[in-house]
Amino acid sequence: MTIRSAQYINHSSSADNSDIRLSPKPPPRVWNSIEPPFKGYQSPPLGGYVQSSKKTAVVIDNGASLLRAGWSFDKSPRVAFPATVARYRDRKINRTVSYVGYNAYADATTRGQIRNAFEPGTSIVGNWDVMEGLLDYTFASLGITAEDGGVGRPIVMTEPVANLGYSRKTMTELLFECYSAPSISFGIDSLFSYRFNKGRHGLVVSSSHTATHLIPVLDSKPVLSSATRLNWGGFHGADYLLKLLKLKYPTFPGKLTEYQTEDMVRSHCYISQDYDREIASFLDWSGLEDRDHVIQYPFTEQVIIEKSEEELARIAERKREGGRRLQEQAAKMRLEKLVRKEQTLEYYKSLQEQLANQTKKEIKRLLDEDEFKDEAQLERTIQDLEKSIRKARNKDVGGPENIEEVEPSYPLLDIADENLDEAGLKEKRHQRLMKSGYEARVRAKVEKELEKARIAEQERQDNERRETDIDSWLEERRAARLTLLQRIKERDRLKADLGNRKSLASQIRMKTLANLASDQPGKKRRRGGDDDNFGANDDDWGVYRTVATGEHSDDEEEEDLGAGLKGVEAQLLKYDPSFNENNTLEAQSDWTQSLVHAFLRGPRPFDPESQQEAHQIHLNVERIRVPEVVFQPSIAGLDQAGIVEIAAGVINHGLAKQHDQISVLGDIFLTGGNTLFTGFDERLKRELRAALPIEAPIKLRKAKDPILDAWRGAAQWAAGAESNQRFVTREDYQEKGSEYMKEHNLGNATAA
Amino acid sequence: MAPIPPAPQAGDDSHQQLLDQLDLTLMPRPFRNPHWKPSQRRNKNIKQIIGEASRKEASVLVTQNNSGSSTPHPQSSANATGSVTPLPGSAQVQTNITQAAQNLSTMVLERNLQASLSSGPIATYTNIESAPSLHPAHQKHYCDITGLPAPYTDPKSRLRYHNAEVFQVVRSLPQSAAEKYLEARGAHVVLK
Repeated sequence: MTIRSAQYINHSSSADNSDIRLSPKPPPRVWNSIEPPFKGYQSPPLGGYVQSSKKTAVVIDNGASLLRAGWSFDKSPRVAFPATVARYRDRKINRTVSYVGYNAYADATTRGQIRNAFEPGTSIVGNWDVMEGLLDYTFASLGITAEDGGVGRPIVMTEPVANLGYSRKTMTELLFECYSAPSISFGIDSLFSYRFNKGRHGLVVSSSHTATHLIPVLDSKPVLSSATRLNWGGFHGADYLLKLLKLKYPTFPGKLTEYQTEDMVRSHCYISQDYDREIASFLDWSGLEDRDHVIQYPFTEQVIIEKSEEELARIAERKREGGRRLQEQAAKMRLEKLVRKEQTLEYYKSLQEQLANQTKKEIKRLLDEDEFKDEAQLERTIQDLEKSIRKARNKDVGGPENIEEVEPSYPLLDIADENLDEAGLKEKRHQRLMKSGYEARVRAKVEKELEKARIAEQERQDNERRETDIDSWLEERRAARLTLLQRIKERDRLKADLGNRKSLASQIRMKTLANLASDQPGKKRRRGGDDDNFGANDDDWGVYRTVATGEHSDDEEEEDLGAGLKGVEAQLLKYDPSFNENNTLEAQSDWTQSLVHAFLRGPRPFDPESQQEAHQIHLNVERIRVPEVVFQPSIAGLDQAGIVEIAAGVINHGLAKQHDQISVLGDIFLTGGNTLFTGFDERLKRELRAALPIEAPIKLRKAKDPILDAWRGAAQWAAGAESNQRFVTREDYQEKGSEYMKEHNLGNATAA
Repeated sequence: MAPIPPAPQAGDDSHQQLLDQLDLTLMPRPFRNPHWKPSQRRNKNIKQIIGEASRKEASVLVTQNNSGSSTPHPQSSANATGSVTPLPGSAQVQTNITQAAQNLSTMVLERNLQASLSSGPIATYTNIESAPSLHPAHQKHYCDITGLPAPYTDPKSRLRYHNAEVFQVVRSLPQSAAEKYLEARGAHVVLK
């Protein structure tokens, strides 16, 4: 168990730049998450029962975290185990089994059945079946064999301050009826601890597992009427940390349990001496490595098969080879085609030559043979072939492409239709088509040029404006940037909203889907008649964008926005003196600048792919936030005064006489496991000093062993003479009933 | 810390043996009274216990108010008027005994009440709880997400937050998570 000392952290200067932040850091100190506290089979401690006599008492510190038990002559408890029992019917062996204390953590089945004797967060027994199991196990472990059909030894047991009548009554009945105890006595654990540490006048501050109690003691007698309880202890701290961690890592893959957070509170938390100052700078960059504690949960690294260099090279080579083969094949095919085309061209050319000096009839015959209508068509075919051959050659050889398109002549267009024969008319029609096509191309070219000129002009104007009126230009750019940011944000929110079925965005989407899918068109469409003119308007198609939510639904827009923002930011960077690298969105979303990153992932980069890092918990702010609740209960929503205010109240208002107050202040005594935090006593002393009159002499001390001294005190008291007349005997019980008790200086007072 | 026992395997009953060794039901427990039959309804939570105790207390007070000490005894008034002839000896003694017993129980109760009033308040489980803080300095606000000092509150979710970056986180939280953050601070809405 390492409790790190409290450190004062100075306000870090804002000057640390991201170079320092990015510089490699030593690997983090990592703590492993703890396993369930199973201890294996433990043979019961021997010899105690044989040594004991009818006068030796069994001493039980009935604590909510651990039940500790032993004999009154022991120096420390013989057995200690958590107040838990796993009792269930095992179907495999077909009988009821029950495992007590650490044994209940033996395996997953038993862990799943664990029940606690105490009502959660209190020191009041809520489950008496479990309590019975605990007592059974205690007596069995102490090796008690029945002499007269019962435990045969007096029992001293601790109970909470101002225990409820019902609880005491039920416990008394249980001990007398079930275990046939000869006599029993109850006392308050913190008072036993105070007695063991030889206190006479003082203020007992006991912060234990389930509650924090303050009891003034005058002349070894507790002033119970001014005892005060704060409903906060180690249990609540662990529970609070569990809540915080579950909120901090909502998708944590490991299982967070209470015994783990309990251990985290014990090992990593400390009381801050100046909470407000320390918490404000806790996530500052300087020194965060030391403040941030990393808890590693078990994980299995995903196996990525690493291919060797050679293998990679071979794969690449194979790929290249395949590509080459394909290319070769394609080239071959192209060549064949080319050859075929050339042959055809040759043939047609020879045909043309043949036609040159033939009669009309012969020409007609020859043309018909090759399915040409007339000479013009042959001519065109030859031209087309020549063109495509030239193109193919260029492609293979890489010669210059024939760029300039020569405007063809359209001689026929000027001749009136009447003067043309059938073939001429056809030709004219063809030429007209050609002409309009050519003109359209020329127009497009001109338009393109114009557009280019327009953009250049715009840029020129923009530059001019910038030079003449930089302020308004910058203003405009900034506004544009903000609009873009807003749109990006909106888009992100929409995306996030679509994940939530109840959000407005998804509801609208569902409505759209239902409308699209419904056979009966909605009101709007009905009004417009049967004609569904969907798609007539370009915006209609936007409906698919709102409906699709998949991965790539709005890639286009994303690119657009991102690129646009980059452009605007680049301009701002260039011309706006007040806009620097740190202001860009990219820099702002940089993890080194992020407070939330420091909170969640500490001072090092986070790789979401790494299983190791995904299974890590970073404790930073929590290290002082959790134990601080004792001083400021409002942090955890506890509507009670803090420990200092209570102490001041107990001293100022709970004790009437001035000299009592002074004598109590002379010995403020800390006991209980929740006071073990580093810095607890210093902080309490400092704050008490501030809350009490200046002349008040404050002395503060800790129990020698804040955890075990309660049991030791009880054992010491039980063994001494003082306790002789303080036991309720079996006869008393039978005569005066189960609510009868005897008051003594270490126990509760009789309720009315 | 003992290592976690290996997962039980088929055919290997070492884990079962260990479990048997740990099982309380197999341990000898001769100290138990074999005739002990606990009440079926002994498990009560604090609310029930306190509720029952206060009901009992209230009923005691009621019986005290209606007790003989506050109303004149019918016997004595009858005697005074003389309209009823006193009965012969034996019956007289009997009524006196019941009357005395009744008076005695009342007296004890009243005595107890007086004692409790004179010696100041008795510490009970409920009244030793410390009261809410009155110190103005203790109403500091801390960020619900990061725990840092929080000068702002989001009016929509009522979460407190530290700065603009945390605010973005707050706004991206689903409703249920925001509610859980409030619960950790005890400021959540409880429907009854």
